[in-house]
Amino acid sequence: MSPVRRYEHGSRVPGWDSAADLDKAPAAVPDPALVDVPADLRAEIEAAMARYPERRSAALPALRAAQDRYGWCSPEAIEQVACVMRLTPAYLASVATFYDMFELEPAGRHSVYVCTNITCSLRGADDLFTAIEEAAQGDADINVRSFECLGACDIAPMVSVDNVYYGPLELADAGRLIDDLRSGREPLPELALALRRSADPNAASA
Amino acid sequence: MSTTILLRDIDEPGLATLAVYERRGGYASLRKALSMEPAAVVAEIDASGLRGRGGAGFPAGRKSAFLPKGNMDKYLVCNADESEPGTFKDRELMQKCPHMLIEGVVIAAFGAGISRAFIYIRGEYEAQARILDAALAEARSAGYIGERIMGSDFSLDVVLHRGAGAYICGEETGLLDSLEGKRGNPRLKPPFPALQGLYQGPTLINNVETLMTMPYILEVGGAEYAKLGAPNSAGTKVVSVSGHVQRPGNYEVELGTPSRQIIYDLAGGPPVGRRVKLWFPGGSSSPVLTEADLDIPYDFDSLAKAGTMLGSGAIIVVDNSTPVLDVALKVAKFYRHESCGKCTPCREGTNWTVRMLERIETGEATPMDLDIMASVQERIIGNCLCVLGDAMAMPIGSMISKFREEFEAHMLSRQLADVAA
Amino acid sequence: MPRPQQNTITFSIDGREVQAPENMMLADAAKLGDVEIPVFCYEPKLGQPVGACRMCLVEIEGIPKLQTACSTAVKDGMVVHTRSERAVEAQRAVVEFLLINHPLDCPVCDKGGECPLQDITFGWGAGSSRFIEPKRHFRKPLELSPLIAIDRERCILCYRCVRFAQEISEDYQLILLERGAHSFVGTFDGHPYVAPFSGNIIELCPVGALTSRPYRFRARPWEIEGSGTVCTLCPAQCNVNLTVRDERVLRVLARENEAVDDGWLCDKGRFAYQSVHADERVTAPMIRDGGELREVSWERALSEAAGALRRAGSKVAALAGAGATNEEGYLLARLLRDAIGSPDIDSRPGAAVSLDEWRALAAPGLAAKVSDLEFAHAVLVLDCEPLDDAPILELRIRKGVRRHGVSLLVATDRPSALDAHGHSLRFAPGRGAELAAALAVALRDGDATAAAAAAGTSAEAVGELASVLREGGEEVVILYGERLLDGGAAALLDLSAALGLDGRDGAGLIGVGESANARGLREAGAAAGVGPGLSEAARGRDTAGIGAGLRDGELTALYVLGVDPTVDLPDHAGWEEALEHATTVIAHAAFLSDGLREHASVIFPAEAYPEKEGTVTHPDGRIQRLRPAIARQGEVRATWSILAELSRRLGTDTGIATAAAASAALFEAVPMYSGLTLEEIAGRGVRWPEREQAASLPAPASAPPAASPRPAIASGGRSLVLSSYRSLWSAPEVAASPALAFLHPPQRVEISPEDARSLGLSEGEHVVAVDASGASVPAVVAVRDAVPPGRAIMLAGLTHDGANRLRGDLVELREPPPAPPEPADNAADEEIQEALV
Repeated sequence: MSPVRRYEHGSRVPGWDSAADLDKAPAAVPDPALVDVPADLRAEIEAAMARYPERRSAALPALRAAQDRYGWCSPEAIEQVACVMRLTPAYLASVATFYDMFELEPAGRHSVYVCTNITCSLRGADDLFTAIEEAAQGDADINVRSFECLGACDIAPMVSVDNVYYGPLELADAGRLIDDLRSGREPLPELALALRRSADPNAASA
Repeated sequence: MSTTILLRDIDEPGLATLAVYERRGGYASLRKALSMEPAAVVAEIDASGLRGRGGAGFPAGRKSAFLPKGNMDKYLVCNADESEPGTFKDRELMQKCPHMLIEGVVIAAFGAGISRAFIYIRGEYEAQARILDAALAEARSAGYIGERIMGSDFSLDVVLHRGAGAYICGEETGLLDSLEGKRGNPRLKPPFPALQGLYQGPTLINNVETLMTMPYILEVGGAEYAKLGAPNSAGTKVVSVSGHVQRPGNYEVELGTPSRQIIYDLAGGPPVGRRVKLWFPGGSSSPVLTEADLDIPYDFDSLAKAGTMLGSGAIIVVDNSTPVLDVALKVAKFYRHESCGKCTPCREGTNWTVRMLERIETGEATPMDLDIMASVQERIIGNCLCVLGDAMAMPIGSMISKFREEFEAHMLSRQLADVAA
Repeated sequence: MPRPQQNTITFSIDGREVQAPENMMLADAAKLGDVEIPVFCYEPKLGQPVGACRMCLVEIEGIPKLQTACSTAVKDGMVVHTRSERAVEAQRAVVEFLLINHPLDCPVCDKGGECPLQDITFGWGAGSSRFIEPKRHFRKPLELSPLIAIDRERCILCYRCVRFAQEISEDYQLILLERGAHSFVGTFDGHPYVAPFSGNIIELCPVGALTSRPYRFRARPWEIEGSGTVCTLCPAQCNVNLTVRDERVLRVLARENEAVDDGWLCDKGRFAYQSVHADERVTAPMIRDGGELREVSWERALSEAAGALRRAGSKVAALAGAGATNEEGYLLARLLRDAIGSPDIDSRPGAAVSLDEWRALAAPGLAAKVSDLEFAHAVLVLDCEPLDDAPILELRIRKGVRRHGVSLLVATDRPSALDAHGHSLRFAPGRGAELAAALAVALRDGDATAAAAAAGTSAEAVGELASVLREGGEEVVILYGERLLDGGAAALLDLSAALGLDGRDGAGLIGVGESANARGLREAGAAAGVGPGLSEAARGRDTAGIGAGLRDGELTALYVLGVDPTVDLPDHAGWEEALEHATTVIAHAAFLSDGLREHASVIFPAEAYPEKEGTVTHPDGRIQRLRPAIARQGEVRATWSILAELSRRLGTDTGIATAAAASAALFEAVPMYSGLTLEEIAGRGVRWPEREQAASLPAPASAPPAASPRPAIASGGRSLVLSSYRSLWSAPEVAASPALAFLHPPQRVEISPEDARSLGLSEGEHVVAVDASGASVPAVVAVRDAVPPGRAIMLAGLTHDGANRLRGDLVELREPPPAPPEPADNAADEEIQEALV
């Protein structure tokens, strides 16, 4: 038995080791006079705020709108949302970092979420994830992430490509998936969840 | 397997459109409900014996009745944040028959005197969100939602709200915080959402499947619905079966159907030549059962008696090709990732459990570590702010107690391998 | 809002019968039975319990699961066990979990010895851990701000600090990032956590994760003493507990007084103690000798001062301000009126307020107290910015709005930090009096068109304010800036009458003075025409009149207590001239500001508040006691003793030889204070409007006549209307405290985006603000959306570039003159440097 490692450097999370930059000004609610927000983004955020009794409820849709526009929740994107919503950027950063679907670092244009939770992994998802990661290696346009259960265990192992579900995949599909994405085709069209019929014998009496 | 309510003909082309749904008699139950007294609608739901389909299994009629009467702002929230590993029933239901959900939402809101409803759908379900949005637009222009619904005095605004990837938002109070634009941290209860929920107002929270069952209950009457299923487990349930089965998918069964029938007859059982080693009866947070438990009737009480739970109705089958340690690690890592971090036992306990399991995997553990791990699970259970900690501790605890020999055998084999090396 | 009524119930805890108010949280109620339930996240000051740390799990009979005592309200007959097997097991479990990733670096931790985590681990932990995995290690400590260091290894994620930023200061700058075991406390994109109340998180932290950078490693808990007194850096007069080691103040902690500060401090109060021990502090008497100030003996300084005063005859005037105590004000007034025979004493920067007005405003029936801000139906903030003028009151207002649904109205001449939380109205700079008058008209459903126009707003806006105020409910508290009393006392009284505030419980007025003890100085008799207890005194000049008297030779000597007129008062040039003309300027000062350095004949080193003994009076009438925490530094002597000594030398022996005697004389002289003792005031203070003796306040002889509105000011062309204010940070104590100096603001001019566009100015640009007389002040442009067009908002109270250097209502912003050429001796310097190398 090898000795138990002790007192080594533990798991590192980005941010834990960072100090504040004392040269920066404190980040209060951005003054509208100082932040330019593109008109369409502003309109989208304002429309989202109007849907709720309290404007703060629009935090998720507003951050999503900003991420869709800029590719990630950059500090500038968060500042713009904060400016329209009259919140501090810190508040929104706190919200954004809580949820898996927000990108806090620059990310590829295409998102490929590979479910590696229990059912998918029982059916080979871990190897599939590695294969997809390898196939996409070096492509800054493609953001491959291993994801928790995406709610499609019936098509395990599965992927969500730009939020469209495909499955079940074979290991061999990894290369084709990435090729399709690179060439602008719909990836693995025949595996789209939308095409799948229900498993229940009574789902289609016809 | 006799009665199919939710999945019947669900693959009919165009069912997601209003025209086809109406042709099949859609929104007739709503018309009927609107002609009744709200209290009578709740009484029908109550009489049906319908229990919540999201995980906790709380009687749906009683939940509605908890809401205070009066003219304050009250809210209905449909929990469509289906995130329990192994569960995918709401996804299929919403995708294929969105109007039935909308109809259920309006009926439930009418019964509880609510004028504002939200459907909180998990962010990953973008296709389903689009379908629901389209259906909401159709329903709005047809007068099924909005002002003075179907000519009645009842008005209801329904907003679809997309999550952004956090399992904990399926916990009802975490969901409320998330809907309020915050981090999805669960809240302390009491106060319960029925009294102080969304925006501090009385809030009724129901799962998609629960709400989708309501039109049928209104159609046939609560008493008729109550005849389906098993004692204290009325009705049918859409069960998501996945893992090592030949035909994974959603199956609608009457509650009380023997589990073996669901796993083998419907889903086809494990691949030829393999046997069921363990199975989760109600999503990854339910304590595991083994092959010996396959004849347990699939209903709330029978599963509770077996020390586990029906949960969200998601059966995950693991056959004898997979080591239990792999399953335990997946489960523990998932809950560590999804712990919101608010309360101590869950935040630290899930992390500690993963670290111990990793040590077991690499062969750096002894059977004593299993005892510590079991004790850690006990120290999590019941001590947390919400049920997420328990959701890891219960299945992990059950795996340690039911598969201790396998864990120990793994330790020994790793140690022998080390010695040999 | 009605305050909650409480019934007393009986419950049982660990076998003891305990009586407690019904619905008190169990964690608090347990203390009434001498049972301690350990907590980390629970802090009632932060609002609703969150039940996050799970440390307080207890067993309650009849409830199957263990319950968190922090969130369980006690009920009659409840039976609680905190030491049962299950409860003990849960407590041990939580301690074990909390310590998993805690580094246990107590020997090098600044919190060691005063750490709740240490105490609770000792008291409720198992004493050992079964966690043998590697702990997390991170870089530490890290800077969270110039004032606060963060050690994330030690953090147990109790969220107190984050909740403070959300629920109390509402600055939402300090946040929790990430999720689960990865969660950590931080800020947005590496910005520092700099906010007016940030230091409170240090005190809230139950472990050594957040520490004060100025205090770090200065002392161990067993080497220090705590000493309670009152901070007199602003009118809020927060109660503080000073940490003292070897006669040095090393730290300031809150000394919770619900009636005053609710247990919070602003960062000025928390960190400006450094100025007590600053090198630049004046610690010895000085006289001007050959044009220069030089240190002399006390005897020399006193005889110099006494001689000069004697020579000036009755042509002496006095000004008091800053943190001067009631006793100092009383003795200064006696020095002037009795010993010197001059009526010219004032403590108010603005125009004199009539005695009748003072009496009417001080009437106990109109007096609101601090806690009323929290429970009133509506709070009207009128012509003051609590954040700058009395910061801790801002937190109380926020609390009322957030927790008790107080309806907030903000009527000010510049954007307020409270705007987002209520209904706001902007009036023209300095037109608070006109606004009060217009509002009174609107409340009586009169036509407010003309009155509103005089205030620089519209009848609609005033009407809306009136209707929000009416709808709010009848308990209204008006928190007003005393600057409003420049012609506004009658209007304010009329407004109170229109609202029917007189005699209404929970309603009334609180006036925020322009110096820390403005109310006390006035009540002690150190104000124009005001004798002790608001009695009749000989009519003397007010502050502006004193300046004029010095300029035209009617007065020849000026005695200042905590004031540098060239910095602290309007009309810098006028005061320069006045001081130039004065034969004698005697000043009690802690720091040599330009005006004193230039013009003072005698400087007495002033005490810092931690050295002081005496009383002050809070804006709500609470008399509070200052107690010395440290010995006076250097040769500093008690201010009261100097005033008494000068009186004696000028022939009027007050017979006062101790600080206690000074207080006793004050209490005797001021009828409302009569019968008070220092023991009675003790640590919590006594509100005189609640005393029987309040009846001795003389009634106003007649209703004060309404002042006529001043003409409207119009901006035009390139001119902007100047509005100036004193920031929380423009104080000598801030400038002299190394840790806070970064907050001491440079002059800036806030303008609207519209004006920025039309004037071609942009954020951060350097300009000079020039008035009609050609006087100019350099400033940096700050474009702010909330600034009304046509305004230029600048800072007053700055040592060098204060807005008081600009005269008149209008300024123009111009390009700065070209920078002076680089000093020629740079090259020489370099040569020397090279030579040295």
